[in-house]
Amino acid sequence: MRAYLGLDVGSVSTNLVLLNENGEVVTGLYLRTQGNPIRAVQEGLAQMEKQIPAGMSIAGAGTTGSGRQLAATMVGADAVKNEITAHAVAALNELPKVQTVLEIGGQDSKIIILRQGVVVDFAMNTVCAAGTGSFLDRQAARLGVPIEEFGSLAERAQNPVRIAGRCAVFAESDMIHKQQLGYPVEDIVAGLCEALVRNYLNNVAKGKDIQAPILFQGGVAANVGMRRAFEKALGFPVIVPRYHAVMGALGAALLAKRAVAGRHSTRFRGFDVSRWRFDVSSRSCGGCGNQCEVVEILGEGKLLARWGDRCGRWSSFVLEAAGK
Amino acid sequence: MRIGIPRALLYYHYHPLWSTFWRYLGLEVVSSPPTSKEILDQGVSAAVAEACLPVKVFYGHAFYLAPQVEFLFVPRLVSAETGTYICPKLMGLPDMLRHAGRKLPPLLSPTLNARCGPRAWEEALTRTARVLGFSAGQAKRACNAAAAEQARYTAKLGEGKTPLDILSEGKEDKEGGQDQNLGTQKALLLLGHPYNLFDDFISLGLLRRLRARGYRVTTAEMLSSRLIAEEAARLPKALFWSLGRLVLGAGSYYLRSGGVAGIIHVVSFGCGPDSLVGELLERKARRAGQLPFLLLTLDEHTGEGGMVTRLEAFLDMVEWRNAS
Repeated sequence: MRAYLGLDVGSVSTNLVLLNENGEVVTGLYLRTQGNPIRAVQEGLAQMEKQIPAGMSIAGAGTTGSGRQLAATMVGADAVKNEITAHAVAALNELPKVQTVLEIGGQDSKIIILRQGVVVDFAMNTVCAAGTGSFLDRQAARLGVPIEEFGSLAERAQNPVRIAGRCAVFAESDMIHKQQLGYPVEDIVAGLCEALVRNYLNNVAKGKDIQAPILFQGGVAANVGMRRAFEKALGFPVIVPRYHAVMGALGAALLAKRAVAGRHSTRFRGFDVSRWRFDVSSRSCGGCGNQCEVVEILGEGKLLARWGDRCGRWSSFVLEAAGK
Repeated sequence: MRIGIPRALLYYHYHPLWSTFWRYLGLEVVSSPPTSKEILDQGVSAAVAEACLPVKVFYGHAFYLAPQVEFLFVPRLVSAETGTYICPKLMGLPDMLRHAGRKLPPLLSPTLNARCGPRAWEEALTRTARVLGFSAGQAKRACNAAAAEQARYTAKLGEGKTPLDILSEGKEDKEGGQDQNLGTQKALLLLGHPYNLFDDFISLGLLRRLRARGYRVTTAEMLSSRLIAEEAARLPKALFWSLGRLVLGAGSYYLRSGGVAGIIHVVSFGCGPDSLVGELLERKARRAGQLPFLLLTLDEHTGEGGMVTRLEAFLDMVEWRNAS
């Protein structure tokens, strides 16, 4: 049986999805990137190899996320796509009539507006990461609440307090003030969710035409408090797909499936990659005043790719990159 | 005598006029090379933190030229056409530069203010030439030669060349230029201030990237000033920022007439006038609803990831729409 592998290598998490020929998810994996995307990809591949059902082989692989080029170089990819397109493709697969996708990940958040199955507008957060997953993580840890219980705690709130959501630093000091005044923790947590939703709608979704059906994707969608806060602010039901945390990887797998349609070959190097030795080195090129920081990726001692230069002097010399 | 003209800010609009004027008078004109990391670092380390990136880049170019020339040409640009103003930071540029705490050669800073009359630029340049000992007659002839050269430049822009294409004419590593026959589906309107769009380093190669993806790039400089004035007159209130007027005029022209598959608006982080103009344009684009629109905010990034992700997603959106 043919299967398709999608990898989403983000700043906070690295996700893998295995898709069967019918476009159904066989396995979804969610790992922490922890600042080491190479190790996260290898670890993900090793886990996936153990879970792949017998008789199933990878017919295509796709990568997305901020680490998509690196991941594609490592595993060999048939599709390399930005995370906006990957999320949109996955959302359309989930719900063909979807008109709005809210996505909040570890360090970025985006909104995608679709009409009649086509992306017509999108935005990503610019300078501020307030309200993304990392900030919620941090606040949960500070309040001593496991992040998994954050949402259900917010749901129990009787009277959410108002928290300043414009800036993560302001939000944190506001929360501390409210705590010191003795407000119940669930009211503070619910207030925080509302503040983050306000911030998202004012900054990321600024002026966008939000219409139902609305899908809420990304790791933060697991937080029921955030979902309720969105529903309260928007006045529409907000749908959280079953595989919300790995939608980027799901989109990458779907794009890989499209890319290899009608072909019987894939660039995927196989699960052996999880045992390869990868080396990276970087150096400053002295060719001109730009002093570009050139990075080299080596797998099993062989040069796989180079990038980071502006002029192409180094990056055009690619031996086995995903593009070949 | 050697005079230095920094390759920054409105150099991209007026370098034929300025260099021809001084060259005609027999001065040796030296321009700084295209922006590099060194030049940017120099500028960023000396400029006040609140200045926008283009101003910091200007500092870097001025410092680069300083040891090589006897004079630096840093005009005080107040107004380029009657009824409009240039950004106040450009008006105060010679003063800011003088107080940057670096050793600089004397600055030649004529006040170029078209609000003082149709011949105000010529009169100001003449006064500056007189200070250097040239006669009024010599200055007059230099002005005529400069105006003719500037007119030739404007004509070339009208043929669909960008300032960057014209600057690199006759150079070994010249810009590839573009296929003017590409139709609407393969044409994009690139809007923004010239010192962002045509500085390859600051724009992270935006123009090159779009052309490499097979697009013909149109900019506001390619439209006649009469057409821009007509479009600007449709606004409920006259817009007095001249660069904003150019952006908005070109944007509304294409929103009305079609002829491109999408619009990309590039702004500097923290640009005052663009916070208004960008918003006006985005609202206009959304109301018209026909063309995909992308707002790209540039600052000191040398990591291209954020820009590339947004750009790729935007081009996917354009291609997706074209296909549907």
